[in-house]
Amino acid sequence: MHKRLSTEARTRQSAVIAGLRHAMLGAFLLAGILAPISAHAAPAGCAALQAKYPDFKGKTLVNAINPHTPGYEAIDPKDPNKYVGFDIDLGEQIGECLGFKLTYKAVTFAALLTTLSSGQADIVISDIYATEERAKAADFITYSKVFDGVLVAKGNPKKITGINTSMCGAAAAENTGFVEVPLVQALIPECKAAGKPEPTLQLYDNNANCIQAILAGRADTYVNDVNTVDQAVKANPDKLEKAIAVTIPYSVGIAVPKNKPEFRDAVLAALIEVQKAGIHMDLLKKWQLDVNNFKEPDILSVK
Amino acid sequence: MSLFVHYLSLPYLIEGIWFTVVVTALGLAGGLILGLVLAAMQLSRFWMLAALARGYTVIFRGTPLILQMVFAYDALPQIGLKLSAIGAAGLALAANEAPFIAEMLRAGVLGVDRGQVLAGQALGMTPALLMRRIIAPQAIRTMIPAFGNETVSALKNSSLASVISVQELTLRSTQLASSTFDFFSIFFASGLIYLVLTAGVSVIQLFVERALDLDRTTPQGRLAIFLPWRRVDLATKLKLAEQAPAAAEPPQSPSPDVPAPSPRPASRGDRAKHSAMVQRNNVAVEVTDLRKKYGTQTVLNGVDLTVRVGEVVALLGPSGSGKSTLLRCINHLENWDSGMVRVGGRRLGHRDDGKPLSPREIANERASVGVGMVFQQFNLFSHLTARENVAGPLRWVHGMTRVDADRRARELLERVGLSHRADALPRHLSGGQQQRVAIARALAPNPSVLLLDEPTSALDPELVNEVLEVIRRLAIDDGLTMIISTHQVRFADEVADRVAFLSHGSILEEGPAHEILTNPRHPATARFLSVVDADKSPEQTA
Repeated sequence: MHKRLSTEARTRQSAVIAGLRHAMLGAFLLAGILAPISAHAAPAGCAALQAKYPDFKGKTLVNAINPHTPGYEAIDPKDPNKYVGFDIDLGEQIGECLGFKLTYKAVTFAALLTTLSSGQADIVISDIYATEERAKAADFITYSKVFDGVLVAKGNPKKITGINTSMCGAAAAENTGFVEVPLVQALIPECKAAGKPEPTLQLYDNNANCIQAILAGRADTYVNDVNTVDQAVKANPDKLEKAIAVTIPYSVGIAVPKNKPEFRDAVLAALIEVQKAGIHMDLLKKWQLDVNNFKEPDILSVK
Repeated sequence: MSLFVHYLSLPYLIEGIWFTVVVTALGLAGGLILGLVLAAMQLSRFWMLAALARGYTVIFRGTPLILQMVFAYDALPQIGLKLSAIGAAGLALAANEAPFIAEMLRAGVLGVDRGQVLAGQALGMTPALLMRRIIAPQAIRTMIPAFGNETVSALKNSSLASVISVQELTLRSTQLASSTFDFFSIFFASGLIYLVLTAGVSVIQLFVERALDLDRTTPQGRLAIFLPWRRVDLATKLKLAEQAPAAAEPPQSPSPDVPAPSPRPASRGDRAKHSAMVQRNNVAVEVTDLRKKYGTQTVLNGVDLTVRVGEVVALLGPSGSGKSTLLRCINHLENWDSGMVRVGGRRLGHRDDGKPLSPREIANERASVGVGMVFQQFNLFSHLTARENVAGPLRWVHGMTRVDADRRARELLERVGLSHRADALPRHLSGGQQQRVAIARALAPNPSVLLLDEPTSALDPELVNEVLEVIRRLAIDDGLTMIISTHQVRFADEVADRVAFLSHGSILEEGPAHEILTNPRHPATARFLSVVDADKSPEQTA
């Protein structure tokens, strides 16, 4: 846990919180519109993959997720026993291609990779940014680009314009283990040099708490995945706004254990099949995510 | 409000309760088992076990539960022990609860009056029997409120299992809040669910306390406990109950339950005849050159004493002269450094191969040799009625049937004039009545010798006589062999065949009671007798 906490890992999550009635309604509508798209048949190349990687066929694997990111992974408000979102669908498509089923284990964000490396989970598909630091704990198959948004209170009273000296003296809410944490910390010497007060960090466990911190006036900003920020603004249009979108040089990745290269290669091959069949793009549209997120997969693995 | 009600009745949250309850139950059950082991280790005679238990307590009481949860979940798999999330949470909670529960158990055990333990030992109860029949029943009663506390705290602590993916109430609430944004409705709902659960624990606790309440009387009272004023009422009731026996027995007039004074106080001549006769009897107790030190202080400095069957010996002497220690050695409640104690011809304290006996063997020896003991502070088992105080040890130690033991208890209580108080708890009896029950209890197994350690010193002056009367009858009518340490000089003169005067752990002077008490040869004896006469005269109205 501490490993991730201190690093730059970055992640994204989307969160959203707060709007009570609007969001509820929105989620219902969203789910209603999208439901028909979810049934995809396995792409043609998958039969060959199942022959090449027979070990995973018929298995039930455990996917560790931090289900606090509507759009990517969260429980279904209509049936709270189910998890729904882009990552959930993508994982099930990969599973279908290789012939395995997934069950879910909900943990805090900071515990995702520990859960994987302790063997309590087989795979992590939970909107986690693949960084060099995190790749020391797991291998990543990247599948999405990262765009961050800066969430602030309505009217942007502190005039924050990104992760820069405009944040000096502001309070930033972040999730423990997020890659934004070290980026904000890196501002401290800059602010000092400019003779301004340091920014402070408030660490929480999930998106909901970060957004609540802004709504309660405890924090001035929350920098996270742009889709998460957009949803938060949508849920609380009177109280929140997105100050700006920033690009961050990471990719989102699927994490697998370092000691299972065959599984890693199988997941990579399956993801390529899923993308070739157009399913990846369909899912982005289904969950109303920016299609510019789409990325051809790579493997990030460090010794 | 409608959202709040919606979430309150949402099956997803309701099912989360199940995980919360399972983790709590695992934690408490495991914690109780582990806590029992830890408490036993800490109370054990072997210091290594105590030190190990101490070390465990320091570690698991001194680190946060959340770390222990993560450890059980993520670190144990590294050594091949991969528990389910619920299993890991239950294990961590149990490991964390154990030291707290062990301390509760230890406090409960140590809180039981030492005198009752001593009395149980004197009756020949083994350590295990003492624990089961005397210590545990009393300790458990005092521990119920602490257990209630611990259960509530474990229930709340189970929410930390959310960090290791147990789908309990807190985790489900946060997930639901993240996906619906109904932050406050959801957390108020889950807060209320927790309140209902902890309130349930409180109700169970009250029921258990009620069920174990020794003063429970009417069935109506069983429901009254839920009324707030009930507690006040209970306290007053207890006070009244304590006063009751005193009020029922005005000290001036002879109370109805005090045995009638012996109709024929034995004449001096009869006593002399009796004394001469017992000198031809077999030896009941023989103490030879008994020595004992506490650290550098000598308590027994070479005591020799022979008591014959049917003889009554009074031990006199100032406080700290070694009277009590001598009596305790005769019953082997204490060890000695050198010398020999024989009761009924049997040598106490060592196995045939010369090795010291274990506590269990000493208990069995006491039961078979048959030495009864009456203590200054009565030491009745306070959770048992007068009848059970007498009958219980007969069943547990001597294997009597319930019917036989109850019959024997009735006979003995009748003999000490307390058959009408057989169902009373010790705390509802006066001091004099308690001491008479204690005498009945000591007599129950038909001991060959009865030891009485200052049996009237803790009594209010007006209650002394009823106890002395019972002892007098045992001596004169029943011819029981007795050794009595006492300050009641006149009483000693009346009932004792012989008097031994102890000072600084040695017998300075011994001989026929009347002769020594009226005409002491040793100056220390004379000095003691004149002081006691002056001090104690108000009590010597017997």
